[in-house]
Amino acid sequence: MTADSGQTPAPTAGAGTVDLTADAKVEAADIPPELVAQSLGQYFRASWARVRGGNSGVLPVVLGLVLVAIGFQIANSKFLSAQNLVNLFEQSTVYMLLAIAEIFALLLGEIDLSVGLVMGLGSVVVAELVQPTGANWPWWAAIIVTLIACAAVGAIQGTMVARLRMPSFIVTLGGLLILEGVAIIVLGGSLVGIGNSAFHNEVVIYDIFWGSFSPVVSWILMAVIVGAAGIGLWVREANKRRHGLETPPPSLTALKILLMAVSGIALVAICNVNRAHFGTIEGVPYIILIVLVVLVACTVLLQRTRFGRYVYAIGGNAEAARRAGVSLPAIRTWCFVLASVIAGIAGVLFASWQVSLTTNIIKASNSYVLLAVAAAVIGGTSLFGGRGKTIHGVLGGLVIGGIYNGLYLLGVSSQWIDVAVAAVLLLAALVDVLSRRGATGQA
Amino acid sequence: MTADPGETPATTSARTVDLTEDAKVEAVDIPPELVAQSLGQYTRAWLRQLRSGNSGVLPVVAAIVIVAVVFEIITPEHAFLRPSNLVFIFGLSTVYMVLAIAETAVLLLAEVDLSVGAVALIGGVIAFKLVQQPGANWPWWLALLAALVICGAIGAAQGVLTAILRIPSFVVTLAGFLLFSGILIVILGGADSSVNLNTSDPNQNIIYEMVQGLISPVVGWIVLVVLVVAYGASLWLRTTSRRRQGLTAPPLALIAIRIALVAIIGAAVVIICSVNRGSALKSVTGIPWVIPIVLVVLGIWTLVLGRTRFGRYIYAIGGNPEAARRAGVNVPGIRIWAFALCSATAALGGILLGSFFFGEYSTNTADPGQLVLYSIAAAVIGGVSLFGGRGKAIHGILGGLLIGSIAYGVSLLSLGSLSTPLEYILPGAVLLAAVLIDVLSRRGSGGVNRV
Repeated sequence: MTADSGQTPAPTAGAGTVDLTADAKVEAADIPPELVAQSLGQYFRASWARVRGGNSGVLPVVLGLVLVAIGFQIANSKFLSAQNLVNLFEQSTVYMLLAIAEIFALLLGEIDLSVGLVMGLGSVVVAELVQPTGANWPWWAAIIVTLIACAAVGAIQGTMVARLRMPSFIVTLGGLLILEGVAIIVLGGSLVGIGNSAFHNEVVIYDIFWGSFSPVVSWILMAVIVGAAGIGLWVREANKRRHGLETPPPSLTALKILLMAVSGIALVAICNVNRAHFGTIEGVPYIILIVLVVLVACTVLLQRTRFGRYVYAIGGNAEAARRAGVSLPAIRTWCFVLASVIAGIAGVLFASWQVSLTTNIIKASNSYVLLAVAAAVIGGTSLFGGRGKTIHGVLGGLVIGGIYNGLYLLGVSSQWIDVAVAAVLLLAALVDVLSRRGATGQA
Repeated sequence: MTADPGETPATTSARTVDLTEDAKVEAVDIPPELVAQSLGQYTRAWLRQLRSGNSGVLPVVAAIVIVAVVFEIITPEHAFLRPSNLVFIFGLSTVYMVLAIAETAVLLLAEVDLSVGAVALIGGVIAFKLVQQPGANWPWWLALLAALVICGAIGAAQGVLTAILRIPSFVVTLAGFLLFSGILIVILGGADSSVNLNTSDPNQNIIYEMVQGLISPVVGWIVLVVLVVAYGASLWLRTTSRRRQGLTAPPLALIAIRIALVAIIGAAVVIICSVNRGSALKSVTGIPWVIPIVLVVLGIWTLVLGRTRFGRYIYAIGGNPEAARRAGVNVPGIRIWAFALCSATAALGGILLGSFFFGEYSTNTADPGQLVLYSIAAAVIGGVSLFGGRGKAIHGILGGLLIGSIAYGVSLLSLGSLSTPLEYILPGAVLLAAVLIDVLSRRGSGGVNRV
């Protein structure tokens, strides 16, 4: 990420066709293959060298997804039906957002155990604010205030972690206890719902999770998004090539764009199947677009801005980052704020998903933090900081959602589902530990 | 703990050196018992420790006093300090005390065990299931032992993942928490099942009586006298034998004060428990069995941590694992044992919990997540450092008492809809305050890293 691309060709003595598998293995493992490969074949060989060096990236989680899909499809032929897949996407969005939130803490080498209850608090606040008999705010004002409230929670916890240097897992452990109490107070002891179709503001909140674009709009949106992303990618790499910078081969760029287009078409095609038992429900759910926007925004923030580079720098070696002039308290505080804001977005989704909220649902929201950590780590984010991307949260969330959905379809009771998730979390952590050991030889 | 007492007088070379003048830094790191020759010196050395951040049990004792006074003032009819309520608080707190002591064993290594709540509940359910009359029908002691051993094995398994594979302990035990919360429901026999103790069966009744049973006041006084005499004699003998061999020993006045303090606290507990807290028709007096049971747990853990090689190694690893490794300590072995003992102790806490709830275990008995939060909070509030190497078993007892007092005090307040949220908010706030004190005191004693 922070490797200086200008220096890479120097040790390979200017030869364009150097075989990366033969020597310079250790260096190859540390440099993204995009920067050294000149042809598609070289790219794949460099990627393979990286995988063997322990930098397996998204490969394990994609393999895991395939295994989950095949396994459950064999066990129950409904699993890969269009209806169930959309259902699975919808359920997974909450895990995905929480996992992205958690990644901001994990990248620093910290942890945020409160994301589940920040989500719970956010869901209660947004639901209370749009109540026609209560605050009766417009839906957009309610969402903005919810996100600001969650940001404030993150700022307080972040300040304790960053400035007072209290251990993050204890700060957020105490924080989640307090938030649980606060959320129950905001809830007012009873039930709050957003399911009344007579009130416009409640309907908007309800539709965030349950509404979808019409099939035609879905196709148009997909075409626009894939087109814009593809053109953007092509133009950027062409630009780099023109300036004589190291760039991946054009065939690789084309392959990436093709992959985007295929997955986009597949997604819209699946979502456009009528999935209602009676009547029609079809089209891409709004939440898929929401998750996509969060994913892109966070990816840009982490991969293309100075802030993102500092986050990785702190996660890699905090003392080195400090000596390089990075303001550790500020970056750390902001990461906790961002984590809580994204958890707040998940809270709005959660309110929409649950339709009516009770004290028991708020208490249950706590357990989502485990799934968030599990999703992030399963996706490939390291627990030790400095390694991970937002896409890992999305893929890991999909795995968790798939396991939940698949086991539920098979009629497995919820306690055994918890056991399965715990096993997957341990496995992911083990892979993380072993891959780090493989990569750096550290204990 | 590991300071060599033989070297201390050499540097000071005069028996009456005034410790307030110089050698401040060294004095701070050495327990005052080892340098003070008189009560006045001891008090001064102790005050200096306080100011430098080594406050020991003082904050938690102060907090208990404050909580007691505040709740006595604000509860309706000033009911908090009634003997019946105090005895109930002892019973409630013992669960947190035992779990906090369990957690302390792991916190001392600078690790954490987030699964103690779930493991404790599993231990309780196993013991309850094994004594069921139409069923396993094991003798109570065997059921208890089986629960401790099974939970110890669970702890050892988590310890292996942490110590050998070096997966961070909070992830291992987070997964363990999920895993054992699920398995708990499975061995209970489903989400709506429960397991009950039949008090008419003498075998099951013994487990039921662990918290519910009472020792008559007369026997209570006898036990107290025996305990105080034994404690005093052992302290006295140890000190005099140290003095005879030319080692530094705390002044005799200090020992007398300690014995008196233990006697006074013990007498207070017995007196409180001897007041009739039933009705005029049916009197209820006596000391719950659970108080001596917790004292035994405290005694065992204090001995293990303070007087055995295993305990010294735990502190050594918590202070600096690399230094401990180079000194020849089998670091993974000690870590695995610590996790195993933590889980075994937690199992005892779970059995006490079931007994406290009148011998019934269901999925609603306790929330494993809240139990673990309370036990970590109790340990840290009591004075155990999260960064390893600092803490004693007594800290778990005091922290558990504070948590239990807050939890019960809030429930007395009849706040209506506010009482449920306060049960979460107050422990959370107290936990954050305790960690803040821990962090600031470490910074004060100059050991914290900048990053």
